Amino acid sequence: MDMLTLILVIFLGGAIVTWIGNKLNPVIGDLLFLAAVIVPSGMFFTGVGVDSTTTINALGLTLTWGLSPLSYLFSLVVVGLGILLAIYSVPFMKGNERTGAFYFNFILSIGSMLGILVSKDWVSFFIFWEIMTWSSYLMVIINGKDVQKVGIKYFVFSAIGAYAMLMAMVVMNSQLGSFMLADTFNNFQHMSAGYQILIPLLLLLAFGVKSALMPLHVWAPGAYSNAPMAFTSVFSGALSKMGIYGMVLVMITMVNQLPNGSIIRDVVAWLGGFTAAAATLWAITQDDGKKLLAWSSVGQMGYIVVGVAIGTPLAMLAALFLVVVHAMFKGSLFMVVGAIEKQTGTTDFREVNGLIRKMPWTFISALLSIIALAGIPPLAGFVSKWMLYEALIQNNNYILVILLFFASTAGFLYSYKFLHGYFLGQEEPEWDHVKEAPIGMIVPMLLLALGTFVLGTYPQLLFKPIDAALQYVGYTTTGGSLWADSVLFSQWGDVVMLQPILYAIIAVFVFFVIFLWFKGKKNTRYVSTKDISTSGEIPKEWENLTFKVNFFQPFERAIEPFLKRQIDKYYTAFGNGLEALFEFSRRVYTGNGQTYAIYAVLFLALLLLFKSNLFG
Amino acid sequence: MATFILAFVVGMTYGGLVRKITARVHNRIGPPFYQNFIDAFKLYSKTSAIHHGAMHFMGPAFLMVSSIVSLMIVPVLIPGGDSWYNSWFNNMNAGGDLVFLIYIMVFGSLGLALGAGQTGNPNSSIGVTRGLSQMVGFEIPWVMALVALMISYKTTSIVDFINIQQETGKWLMFENPFAFIAAVLAMLGMFRYSPFDIVGAPSELASGPVSENGGKFLFTMMSSGSVFSFVKLTLFVDLFMGGAENLVILVIKTFALYMIPVLYGIVSPRYRTEQAVRFFWGWPTFIGLLAILYAVIF
Repeated sequence: MDMLTLILVIFLGGAIVTWIGNKLNPVIGDLLFLAAVIVPSGMFFTGVGVDSTTTINALGLTLTWGLSPLSYLFSLVVVGLGILLAIYSVPFMKGNERTGAFYFNFILSIGSMLGILVSKDWVSFFIFWEIMTWSSYLMVIINGKDVQKVGIKYFVFSAIGAYAMLMAMVVMNSQLGSFMLADTFNNFQHMSAGYQILIPLLLLLAFGVKSALMPLHVWAPGAYSNAPMAFTSVFSGALSKMGIYGMVLVMITMVNQLPNGSIIRDVVAWLGGFTAAAATLWAITQDDGKKLLAWSSVGQMGYIVVGVAIGTPLAMLAALFLVVVHAMFKGSLFMVVGAIEKQTGTTDFREVNGLIRKMPWTFISALLSIIALAGIPPLAGFVSKWMLYEALIQNNNYILVILLFFASTAGFLYSYKFLHGYFLGQEEPEWDHVKEAPIGMIVPMLLLALGTFVLGTYPQLLFKPIDAALQYVGYTTTGGSLWADSVLFSQWGDVVMLQPILYAIIAVFVFFVIFLWFKGKKNTRYVSTKDISTSGEIPKEWENLTFKVNFFQPFERAIEPFLKRQIDKYYTAFGNGLEALFEFSRRVYTGNGQTYAIYAVLFLALLLLFKSNLFG
Repeated sequence: MATFILAFVVGMTYGGLVRKITARVHNRIGPPFYQNFIDAFKLYSKTSAIHHGAMHFMGPAFLMVSSIVSLMIVPVLIPGGDSWYNSWFNNMNAGGDLVFLIYIMVFGSLGLALGAGQTGNPNSSIGVTRGLSQMVGFEIPWVMALVALMISYKTTSIVDFINIQQETGKWLMFENPFAFIAAVLAMLGMFRYSPFDIVGAPSELASGPVSENGGKFLFTMMSSGSVFSFVKLTLFVDLFMGGAENLVILVIKTFALYMIPVLYGIVSPRYRTEQAVRFFWGWPTFIGLLAILYAVIF
């Protein structure tokens, strides 16, 4: 058995073995879990080369697996996040009685995502897609809360997408005779014109559901908040990127060959832009950290979809860069929320406050990740957003630029709400007992947050894999350096122009911190947040001056006409209409055995009466 | 370095002059025009007795970073101009910096917000939320005006805009008047004079984000505010009014531009936050759209 097969077998088998091990003894379960995730990941990074293919014949089907440069880029995200989150999950799930199920679904998710990335034929793609869907569904309902509202909604939407993909697969096979991805893309022109439009639309539906594009996003806020935070990092960091992977493939290979493909691309780009703006506005109104980050994830995926849909090399570079960066900072942020949930027991902004001195490392990770999320230089989020804006301006999509700028500026609001909600503000005595999260949870958070810093300073680290990926799908680059298009780099050759500015920022910052602190360091003493100058009165210990409720009320009042319209209402209305239809059919299929007996007797009577007409 | 001294001196002087002008409009005598320097020196020489933690120090530092880095990006004088001190004011402006500038301008207020948050004063947090909401408001017409300019001239570099105005001899103010009007209306929000000064409403919020900061903290914030005003004015002059060949013309142009928000503000009452945001999304956004259409068609 060669490397790829072995890796996938370890993932799939490891899930079962870990679940059994956890039943025996929690410690064995933890160790098996770490082994089941880290060992195949290590094997993957060292043993699998790009463009090595494996063929398996099973049950009369031929499954082909191999790694392409594009898959390699996404697999960095999947496997990297998987390892860090495995380390994070062990202290996070300590004492939780559903640990076995968590480990089982976690390993299966990571393994199936890797399987999707290495699939070279549609059958294995679909198999792994479905494994990923139901293992994440089990994760969403793992605590048994809100199964109907949240879990079933997620599952129904994923199923709609998956069956659209299945239909597209079957049509392609009947028209082109093969299940291989390469064959379907290369021979796309040989299909009839009707199918040429239908197939990409079906596939875009499938991938759009997974990447939470509006209007298919309604499952995302509930699903992201209900799953345990250790899994939501993987959920929003890696799982939604599977939709992007598929979209990249469809956009580049199929839509580009259509004569009117630019219409589809424009529509998808506008949907992406609208998602970015609308999801950001919804995130501002949320009072729970999990929901806020969930809506923020939907918004950031909107940015990525815009980049993919626009399709110029610079836009694709920006989108793929944002894929990696988003996984890093979103993964870190969900881990922060998980740490807070574990230490304080709640994630509601209106209850928790003032944790900055009690959980300093968590705060630093959150701060760096939020700065990357907001797209502020010098962290990596800015690099990707800048390239995206450049690509849009070069491509003359000016209204989209304004929409995305609006989304970015509104993003500052919920960024501040997140930081202020958990860490800043008044420190209340009921949270005095809170201690810093265990080290196993801090290290992965910090690593991801620092990673955004490193990527912001040295973005060329990621450009080589992205360049290889784009060349694989057919973009030709000028002289091998794709990023020469961007103004960030062309001015100074290979060196990022940002670097001198970055050093200047750090120098000025350090200088002023020292300037403020040094002179009075003997005389300035620390006081708590109760000792403040509210117009000359000093608040008493029992006075609660926390400002959390209706945090952005003026802004929400300003955008109220927008908030009244929710796509969720349409889906609910549709669901209610279907229920009325089902109520009607209840009249016929009553569920009562005697009714069915009467139906059988009536049918026989009809047969006897019209015997001569029917049977000659 | 010379740029920073220039920005500091000019910014503080403008602040003092504005206080004098405001006072005269209100029929008072008002402080002397160098009052801001006296205030800054007094604040510098005081030591704060208390602090509220590490973030409290980092907040004003972030603010200063934003101001100084913006200053380094915006060209103060026309590069290569013919005054003897021109090369003193060369700074690091490379292509594509208009987008960078928009982001770095916001960085400061976010840093200040964080520093103010750690003090725990609810007034600071309320002020910050109002400030951020208002910022979403005026960013739209501001970005529309900038995008209109980018469409017409296919560049995002401020230096290119200056060169274009030098070559054609006409100011961009008249080439695309809608963009200029939208940008000026956005500028009213940027400077936070009335009617958009609900962020630091002194009698309501104890000055919002700057409450809890005294001594050197307040000195840093005040200097940063002056430098930042100067940067914004210079940016406007570079983009719309043809840049400045020497310091005298720079001072005249920026002061003339500065009088627009100041004079309008002296006689205006204050908008509530949602009124301010709705205002910016009304007429200024419409004029911004006109600016973009104008740039696309002509």
